[in-house]
This record gives sequence, C-alpha cells and structure tokens, in this order.
Amino acid sequence: MTVAIDRITRPAPNADPRVDTGHRKVGIGIGVIGLLTAMVVVGLAIAAAVQVGDAGQEDTVGQILAVAFGLNTVALATIKTGIAIILIGVLVRLWIRVEGIKAALPSLKAPTQDHGPTTGTTETPYGTCDVAESVPRELPIHKMARTLWAPMLVMGVTLVAAGFVVALVWAGNVGSDPGVAVDASAWAQGLQFLGEAMVLAGIGFLLGSILGGLRAGGGGVQQSLGLPVQTLQMPKTAKGFIVLLAAGMIIAIVQFVLYIVTTSFDSAVDVATWFAFLGPLRELQLGLLLAGIVLALATIGNVLGFQFWRIRGIITTGS
Amino acid sequence: MTTTTVDFNTNTTETAPGEILPHAAGRKLWFPMFLMALMGFGVGIVLAFFRADAVNSGDVQAAAALGQFVPGFMFLGFAAVFAAIAFAVARILGAFRAGGGGMQEAAGAEVRTLTMPPTGRAFMGLMAMGMMILVASVVLHFIVGAFIAGGSDSALANSEEWSIWLEGARRLGVSTYLFSILLGLATIITVLRFQSVRIRQIVSN
Repeated sequence: MTVAIDRITRPAPNADPRVDTGHRKVGIGIGVIGLLTAMVVVGLAIAAAVQVGDAGQEDTVGQILAVAFGLNTVALATIKTGIAIILIGVLVRLWIRVEGIKAALPSLKAPTQDHGPTTGTTETPYGTCDVAESVPRELPIHKMARTLWAPMLVMGVTLVAAGFVVALVWAGNVGSDPGVAVDASAWAQGLQFLGEAMVLAGIGFLLGSILGGLRAGGGGVQQSLGLPVQTLQMPKTAKGFIVLLAAGMIIAIVQFVLYIVTTSFDSAVDVATWFAFLGPLRELQLGLLLAGIVLALATIGNVLGFQFWRIRGIITTGS
Repeated sequence: MTTTTVDFNTNTTETAPGEILPHAAGRKLWFPMFLMALMGFGVGIVLAFFRADAVNSGDVQAAAALGQFVPGFMFLGFAAVFAAIAFAVARILGAFRAGGGGMQEAAGAEVRTLTMPPTGRAFMGLMAMGMMILVASVVLHFIVGAFIAGGSDSALANSEEWSIWLEGARRLGVSTYLFSILLGLATIITVLRFQSVRIRQIVSN
C-alpha cells in the first residue's frame, strides 16, 4: 500500500518543472465547493434564528439545526480535503525541486577539496545538525506519516459523510420520535467529529511526509555532490507536533465513545449534562490537532531556512 | 523591473530582497498566537465542566451564561490557532522568498523574485475577514453572557436565539479562515514551481 501511496506524491525523476500538476486547481476547486456549502449552512442558521421563539415552530427549528449541523461538518471536511490535495501538490513540487537542485548544484558549487568533517554534529543558525557520509535512515514517524495520510483522509471523509446521513435521520425524527432523535444526534456528533479529527490527522501526516521528504531530499542532494550529509536534528516543535497529534486523536476516540454511552441514558437531564461538556470536548480535540499542525508548519519553515542556508554555503564555499 | 518568466511575474534586483511585512509578522506572531490558542481551549474546557454541573443542577441562569462564555473562549482559541497557522504559512513563504533570493545572489545571477500571486493576496484578505468574523462573534458571546450573568431577563429569554445567530457567524468565520489557509498553501505550490524553473534557468544561462 505504501508503494501505491508513494506514487501519488513522487513525480518521475525527469518531470518537467514548468508543467502544472493540477493539484492547485483541484484543491482550490474543492475548497470553493466547501465554502459554498458553508454559505448554505449560514442560510439555514438565519432561517432557524428568525423562527426560534415562534409558537409552533419548535420542531421546524430543531430540524433545520440538525441538518445545519451535519452540513456544516461536511463543508469543513470538504475545505480540509481541498487543503490535503494542495499539500499533496506541495509534496510533488518538493521532489521536482530536489531534482532541479541536484541537476543545478554541480555547476554552481565552488571548487574545493576540503569538505570538513564527515561525521559527528555541527551547530548551525537553525539548530544542531547530524553529519554523516550518506543520507540518514528514514525516521519511524516519517514512515508512519507516509503510510497513514491517505487511509486517515479516506476514513475521515467516510465518517463525516456517514454522520451527515445520521444527521438527516436526526432531523427526520425531531418532534415525531424524540428518543430516536436524541440517539441519532449523539451518533451524528460523535461520528462526524471523529471523522473531522481523522481528516485533520491526515493533513498532519501529510505535513509529516513533507518533513520526511525535505529530510530525504536534502540529504540526497548533498550525497549526490559527494559532500558530508548535514541533517537537522528533530526540533522541539516537531516533537510537540507529534504529542499534540496523538492527544487530539485520543480525545477524538474518547468523545466518540462517550457520545455512544449517552444513547443508553433514560434521563433527558443526564443527556443534556453530558452534551454540555462533550460539545466543547470535541472542539478541544480539533483545537489540539490544529495546534499540532501549527508546530508542523513552524518546523517546515525552520527546515527550509536551514536548507537554503546549506545550499548557499555549498555554492559559495563548496563544502 | 517587472518581467514575465514562463507564466510568472517577477521583480529583478541585484541583491536578495528581504522579507516583506506579512512574512515578518508571520515570523514574530505564530508562536504568541499558538500560546493564546492553547489558553483559550484550556479555559473553555474548564468552563464547560462548570456548565455541565449547572445543567445537571437545574441552574438555568448559570447554564445560559456559561453557554455563551464556553463557545466564546473556545472560538477565541480557534481564532488564535487559525491565525497561528496563517502566520506559519506566511513564515514559510518568507523563507522561500529570502532563501531563493539568497541562492540566486550566491550563484552570481540576477535575483528574480516572484511578485505576490493572486492566491497570496486573497490569502491575506480572507484571513483578515475570517479573523474579524470570529473575533466579533466571540465579543458578542461575552457581551450576551455578561448580560445573562448580570440578571437580565431579556438576555436570558433570548439566549437561544443569540446562540443560533452567533453559531452561524462562527461557522462562516471558520470556513472563511480555512479557505484562506488553503489559498496560502496553494501559493507555496506556485513559489515551488517558480523556483524549480528558475534554478534550471540559472544553470542554462
């Protein structure tokens, strides 16, 4: 499966850099669909808000809010899917860039025989580097990210879609069968937010794959020039990213289980009490996953700074 | 001087250009926003447990007031975390601009820098719009919550309506913010494509 997934993100070595791979257009297109769906949700919210408090409209308001909830989560997942496709495009472009730099650097590199130490560590403006004679082995987290981003995205989108169907069941039973409506609302919220978490985890793993690609590609460029391979040690931001990603996924599973537990309650007060903290809990899970994504992006910014610094050094000093 | 290379608009200079204001803001602000997000989520989840207790004990006023404060803090967290993501993306774009220019300068070539693509401009505009919508809804949540906590019967009676209106506004803000981030990442693809073409041009020249 990993080989099949790699084919999506690795272009042919002789790929033309001028060619538009299409990821950008497709990603933006899907994002626009998500944004338009979100506009429909805003319309539903306005319709519910103007009817709330009107005598005899309680069921209608409940039905509109149930559909709006399900559709809103679909809209957000759609925009996030667009983001994932853009990130796949970034990965493809990074590999094309690696091939370009590999081809260009031999003629730009300053001539020298002194390449400095070939093993150990060295300090750079961007952090401590490991120095080795060849490209370092892939880190387990990068391998995991490369393998898991696609299954996470597919499972996430599937759960969000399944949750939307359950939200329609929820809306259909508001007023006619309150017991089924409450149970369906618990399933819809649990399923859709587990799905949202998986989509965000998929995005997190894509960012991890980008970091893995930068590490492997940067090492490959240095090795192809016969230079000692300098690789930035894992920064604290990358470690924080892994912790937040894991914490977010654990809370996602916990909130899903707790929502299912509420379907066994007989008391409406108990259900209301649990829903009162489960709503913010599911938001916390998304918040932690997004905070992890911040740290992954910060790490990418740091690694890029290091790589440009290294390339500049190779061009000006040859080592 | 502005020229077009393949299908890129570029500025040509003799030396590498420094970072522009959005990049500098991204470099300085991503971490404070990250911290603010964690604080917002932390306060929000603690208040959520107090609200659950109020719901369980039948304290309608406290439950309604906290029903405004909890999403207020949670979405303060979301506004901050989305800002942190947007600033981190801006920081990456800044690294490409400064690093790409530095590489061309080191190679002794004229330094061509991509002018800001339309996706980059839309990224900043929509980010500002998303942030304003989210912050406005957070402020309104706090105001309504304060009125309910202060004993206003009118605010208590209309709390459900306020919640629905503000939820709609929050959803619009989140969608707009996410789409702006998508455009920021799309700009990275454009920059990578330009840099891959440019490095081959330098060698062929």
